[in-house]
Amino acid sequence: MPATKGFFTDTTLCIGCKACEVACKQWNQLPDDGFLFSAMSYDNTVHLGASTWRHVAFIERPVPLRPQDDGAFSWLFSSDVCKHCARAGCLESCPTGAIIRTEFGSVYVQPDVCNGCGYCIVNCPFGVIDRREEDGKAWKCTLCYDRLREDLQPACAKACPTESIQFGDLDELRVRAEARVEKLHEQGLTDAYLYGAKKEDQPGTEGLNAFFLLVDEPEVYNLPPDPVVPTKKVKAAWISMAASAAGMALVAVGAVLLGKGRRV
Amino acid sequence: MSEVPLQPSEKLPTRRSADPTYYETPLLNEPVWEWAIPAYYYIGGLTGASLALGAAAQLAHSRKLEPLIDRCHWIGLLGTGASSALLVYDLGRPERFLNMLRVFRPTSPMNMGAWILSGAGGASFGAVLFRGRRGLPGAIGRACGYAAGVFGAGLATYTGVLVANSAIPLWQEARRVLPVLFGSSAMGSVGCIFGMLAESTENRRITRAFGAIGQMAELAAGIVMEKQVSVVPRVGLPLKRGWSGVAWKTSAALTAASVVLGMLPNRSKKRRIAAGLLGTLGSLLLRFTVQHAGVVSARDARASFHQQRAGRAI
Repeated sequence: MPATKGFFTDTTLCIGCKACEVACKQWNQLPDDGFLFSAMSYDNTVHLGASTWRHVAFIERPVPLRPQDDGAFSWLFSSDVCKHCARAGCLESCPTGAIIRTEFGSVYVQPDVCNGCGYCIVNCPFGVIDRREEDGKAWKCTLCYDRLREDLQPACAKACPTESIQFGDLDELRVRAEARVEKLHEQGLTDAYLYGAKKEDQPGTEGLNAFFLLVDEPEVYNLPPDPVVPTKKVKAAWISMAASAAGMALVAVGAVLLGKGRRV
Repeated sequence: MSEVPLQPSEKLPTRRSADPTYYETPLLNEPVWEWAIPAYYYIGGLTGASLALGAAAQLAHSRKLEPLIDRCHWIGLLGTGASSALLVYDLGRPERFLNMLRVFRPTSPMNMGAWILSGAGGASFGAVLFRGRRGLPGAIGRACGYAAGVFGAGLATYTGVLVANSAIPLWQEARRVLPVLFGSSAMGSVGCIFGMLAESTENRRITRAFGAIGQMAELAAGIVMEKQVSVVPRVGLPLKRGWSGVAWKTSAALTAASVVLGMLPNRSKKRRIAAGLLGTLGSLLLRFTVQHAGVVSARDARASFHQQRAGRAI
C-alpha cells in the first residue's frame, strides 16, 4: 500500500491564475460548463460540479492585509477541490459501491458502476460531487488516479506556478503546513490557520486528505465551518424508523382486533 | 516570501461581514431528484403500510378478513412494481438499477431501501401467488404474507431515513421525526385509498381506524418537525416562507380536513370519497413539499453555516 496522498492548498500563495482549473479540464478531458459571466469578481466558474473539479474563488474583502494594503481592501484567492474526506459522505451513502477508497486514500467514483441515483450529491457536505446531464453519472475529482498510478502528480498541482497547490504524502504535507502557519504567524499574519488538516480539527469528517491554509472564516471561502458526514448523525433516524415501524404494526394489529371484535 | 509584515494594518478600519457567504452562492449542490422520487415516497408508503395491515389481518385467522388481506397483498404487488418503475425512471442511467443489489451496505439507506423494496416485492408476489392454497403452498403463502408485512413496515418508514441521511440542513435537522412523519402518513394513505373502495362494514372499520390514527399521528409529527427544524431559525425557513411554506401548511390543512370529514357521523359514500381524496392529496403534497423544501434549504448557504455554528452539526 502506498502512503495516503493528498493536497495541501496554501491559499496565501494563490495568485488566481486558474492554471489548475485549465490543467484539470485538459488532463481529465472535462466538457465545458457554459461560458457565463457571473459578475462575481474574476470568478466565472462559481462552484465545483460534475465538470469542474478545481475552482478558484476570488474574494474581495474590505479588510486590509499587508503587503496588499493600498486601502482598506484585500484579495483572497483559493483553489477549491474535492476534499477526499477521511470519512466521505458520498462514499458511505453510495448504494452501488461505485464510490471507493483507492490505494492512495483518495475517494474515487467508478463510472462503469455508478447508476446515477444522485444520493452522493445530497450527502456531500461541501457541495463537490454532481451528476452530469449528458451521461447521467456522478463525477468529481479523482486525485488524478491515472497519473498517480504512473508516479505523476495530479495535473493541478503540476500546473500551479506558485506551489499554492502542493501534492504529496499526507503526513509530510501536514508537517509542512504546520511549519508554514508558524512562519506566517511569526510574520504577523496571525489569522492564518489550517482547515481540515487533522481529525481533531474537523471531527465531522475525521480530517481531509485535501486540506487548506486559510486567513479568514471558512464561510468567506464558501467552506462549511463544521461539516459532518451525514452517516455520522443518522443513527437517530434509524432508531426513529424502528420505532415507527413497530408503532405501525401495533396500530395495525389493534385496528384488526377492534374491527373484528365488535359484532355488527 | 519577503519579510514584510503581513498583519492587518491597525490604522485602517476592518469591516468584516458578521454573516459572510461567498457572493450569496449556495454551499451545496442541489438534489437532482425530480417528481418520480416524492411520488415514490407516497406510493412506497401506501404499499408498505397496506402490506403491514395485511399481515396483521392474517394474524386474526378470520375468513371475513380474506377480502381485506387480498386487497392488501394486491396493492403490495402492484405498488412495489410501480415503485421500482418510478425509481428506474429517475436514475441517471436506468439500465443500471440492479447495481444497487450488487452490494449490501448498511451505511447507505438507499441501498437498504433497495433491499427492502425487493423483499416487499418478492414477498407480496409469493403471498398473491399462493393465496388460499392448501398444504405446503398455502403455508408458504402465509409466510410470504407475514414477511411482506415486515418488509412493508420498513418500506413505509425507511424513506424518512433516506431523506434524513443528507447534508441538506432542513432534512438533517428533521432526522428524528421524518420516519414517523412518512410512516404515519403512509397509514393515512391506506385509510384514504381503501375508504374510497367498496368494503364490508367490518373491514371498513379496520381500515378507518388504521387510517385515522395514521393521519392524526401525521399531523402531530408535522407540528413536531416544524418545531425541531426551527431551533436554528434559518434552517426552518423553508417550512415558513415561500411556496414551500404555503405547500407545507396546505398539506396539513388537507389532511386535517380529511380527518374531520371522516369523523363526522352519518358517512355517506360521497363524503367517504371526499375524505379519501383530501387525505390522498394531503399525503402526496407532504412528500413533494419535503422534497422541495430540501431544495430550497440546499440553496441557502447560511442555513448550513448557522446550523454548524450553532453546534448542531454533530
